[in-house]
Amino acid sequence: MGGYLLRRFLLAIPALWALATVVFLLSRLLPGTYGSERILQSGTGYYSKGSETDRQAAYLSYVKRTGQDMPLFYLSAGPATHSPAETAVSYTKQTQEQLTKLSWRYGAQNAKAYIQSVAALKKQWQDSYHNAVPGNAVAVHLQTLQAADNTEPLVDAAEEIRAAAGHPRLRRAADNVLVRLQAMQPQGSLAFLLPAISWHGSQNQYHQWLVQLLHGNLGNSYKSSRPVLEVLVEAVGNTWWLLICSMVITFFLALELSVLMAQKKENRLRKVLLPLLFMLDSIPPFVLALLLLVLLANPNFIQLFPVFGMGYYMPQELGLWQELMQWAYFMALPLLSLVLFNLPYLTSQIHSAISAAMQSDFTRTARAKGLAESAVIRKHALRNSLLPIITIVSDFIPALVTGTLIVETVFAVPGVGRLLLDAVLSRDYPMLTGIVLIIAAFRIAAYLLADMAYAWADPRIRQRMT
Amino acid sequence: MKQAWQNIRALWRNETLFRIAASYLGLLLLLILLLPWIPLPYGPNDLDLEHIYQPPFSLTYATKSHPMGTDRLGRDVLANVLYGARTAFFISIPVMALAALLGLTLGAGAGFFGDKGFSTSRRNLLLCLLSLLCLGYYWLYLPVQIASLNLGTPMALKSIMAGAVVVVLLFCFSSLLQKFIAPLRQRVAVPVDQLVMRLTEAVSTIPRFVLILVLASFLPPSVLLLSLIISLTAWTGIARLARAEMMRIKQLPYFEAARSIGLNSRELLWRQAFPNLLGPVLVAFTFSLGGLLALESTLSFLNIGVPPTLVSWGRTIASVRSNTAAWWLVVFPGALLTLTILALYTCSHYLSKVFSSKNRG
Repeated sequence: MGGYLLRRFLLAIPALWALATVVFLLSRLLPGTYGSERILQSGTGYYSKGSETDRQAAYLSYVKRTGQDMPLFYLSAGPATHSPAETAVSYTKQTQEQLTKLSWRYGAQNAKAYIQSVAALKKQWQDSYHNAVPGNAVAVHLQTLQAADNTEPLVDAAEEIRAAAGHPRLRRAADNVLVRLQAMQPQGSLAFLLPAISWHGSQNQYHQWLVQLLHGNLGNSYKSSRPVLEVLVEAVGNTWWLLICSMVITFFLALELSVLMAQKKENRLRKVLLPLLFMLDSIPPFVLALLLLVLLANPNFIQLFPVFGMGYYMPQELGLWQELMQWAYFMALPLLSLVLFNLPYLTSQIHSAISAAMQSDFTRTARAKGLAESAVIRKHALRNSLLPIITIVSDFIPALVTGTLIVETVFAVPGVGRLLLDAVLSRDYPMLTGIVLIIAAFRIAAYLLADMAYAWADPRIRQRMT
Repeated sequence: MKQAWQNIRALWRNETLFRIAASYLGLLLLLILLLPWIPLPYGPNDLDLEHIYQPPFSLTYATKSHPMGTDRLGRDVLANVLYGARTAFFISIPVMALAALLGLTLGAGAGFFGDKGFSTSRRNLLLCLLSLLCLGYYWLYLPVQIASLNLGTPMALKSIMAGAVVVVLLFCFSSLLQKFIAPLRQRVAVPVDQLVMRLTEAVSTIPRFVLILVLASFLPPSVLLLSLIISLTAWTGIARLARAEMMRIKQLPYFEAARSIGLNSRELLWRQAFPNLLGPVLVAFTFSLGGLLALESTLSFLNIGVPPTLVSWGRTIASVRSNTAAWWLVVFPGALLTLTILALYTCSHYLSKVFSSKNRG
């Protein structure tokens, strides 16, 4: 038994690793990060007050701090013209983009030399005309030199600067730029199609992340810069009790209802209850939760429960009992919606499992030897339908997670579901990876528990496991 | 096929509930299709900022045609509910069709071939792998990179052309190679069943809803991408079903007879197995469609993966969160959503009765 469980547990680890790797790589492969969206956007937000250069500097330090300047994986494939090792220098985002584009078109070395020559030209220009007005024609051409990704406008701009340059040193710098541009010409336009695979060693994001993960560190959230693990532990604490309580209540109700419906004399109850549950099953969870919210936490209808949150802040220390009461008061609506949402499926499944057991021979024997109906159901039918019930409950975990996620969002419970949603909306990938890992681990744990429950319920299985 | 159609007609005659549900669905579909030609006083995205959170049936505005009230931005709830139904079906039906096709192909293939039934030469296997790699690079990776760097369409087209050329070259080269190297001509069995089952398990390791949320966060909000994501996660149920059905059909006497008269795999699959597979798949299709409707509105309620201009039941319902007194924002779209799902579930329930009884008999 123990050996079997250990084997299952050890098998789960590679699965978790593969899952985390896929989520990590996918999240980093696709463009658009939290940082570039928050820091570089000039419209709104905290960083918009600063100037362009300040924002660039903030972005660079942010990228550096979160390790996003490193290559993603041990290996990377890309056009042979663009070698990431050559271009991995901290420039501003605009320059970095131009460098990448140019190196795709004309080769990494040429592009890098060009970028450096333009930087020198800009420095010359700033040195010799430190009191020049910004609207100057040279400034406009410099802008072009720093943004365009095709040689023709670049050559034009460089020649304009050379013609306009008063200072010989500036002219020399412009000449230098032109030379670099000339070097970029001969590269064929199909050169970028040739792939090249480059090796980065352990200096890559994935390796660093994996090493950190093995040390139990899930990284820092992009959004709040707090350790993911710390935030997760807080959230899991809130979700856990909601989940367990709702599950226990739902399971108990489903079991009792099924036992009640299995009795022959309760035919009428069954005829009413089953269609009712069928209808309840058709209501999507978020509509159900919102309906309860509108109905029971609304001054226009019935104000029974608080709308949002986990409780008030109390200056004095609350007793355990009081705290529990407050928790129950605030969690009543989320619990109710979770129970209502999960009840139909569980009840119908358990009901069909018990009815199947009621048809079997051993039940007829139990009846024949004169046992009372309730004893037949509880002692014989229910016990024998335990195995399918365990399967149902362990298969039920995904729906449970979905329900909890939605209920937490609607009632603003600061749990894992809310966290996941926030992480998705703000593209907070370390957080996302952490949450996915937690959910997957939870699921694996549920399957392990189900295996243990099988062994507990059925001695035959116990024997086979050892 | 004829038999199935007759069964459904018998169902229509005998079962009142099925008749009600099916005619409700039919009417709703008709309404959705004709919606652009129905004159409504307000479009679904028209803002009427002077009348926000207008309660329904209010006398003052009953004449001013907000019969179901308005939402946070004064959008007409009636128009939103009707057009929301349109969006929901226009997204869910193609998504489900794609998922069903994918699941049917993979599941039926897995059930039919099993682990040993499908074999191919080593050269073909190698060619497939290399071509997939090349196409992944030239048709997916490079174009995505080019698009994200704004390098222009000509470059992307060049990359796609290059991919095609490389695959053709690989084909020619491998044909040449297999003439000289004998081991390449050897046939090996492809464990289709194992592969499909492992893939199904991999997709269902984490709950589907979480998977969709996570995938949607990687991509920009767009209906097309979201539909693709949902299709790619929704096929597992139908694949499992199709595999189980296929394995059952394989044991039936008529199928063995067909096999023994020497029909090839393609004929066996298409002419003999598929017509019998369609019934159970239809049941699963109607059932999953209900789930998809709920999923679509949940996602737009959470504002994930869909652009904010997408008219949807979820979007209308979401605006109740800033004013919980506005019950009409939940009740009307929620009722329509629930009714539609209920109708789909009812249909699926009765259809499953027909198809399972037919299978037993």
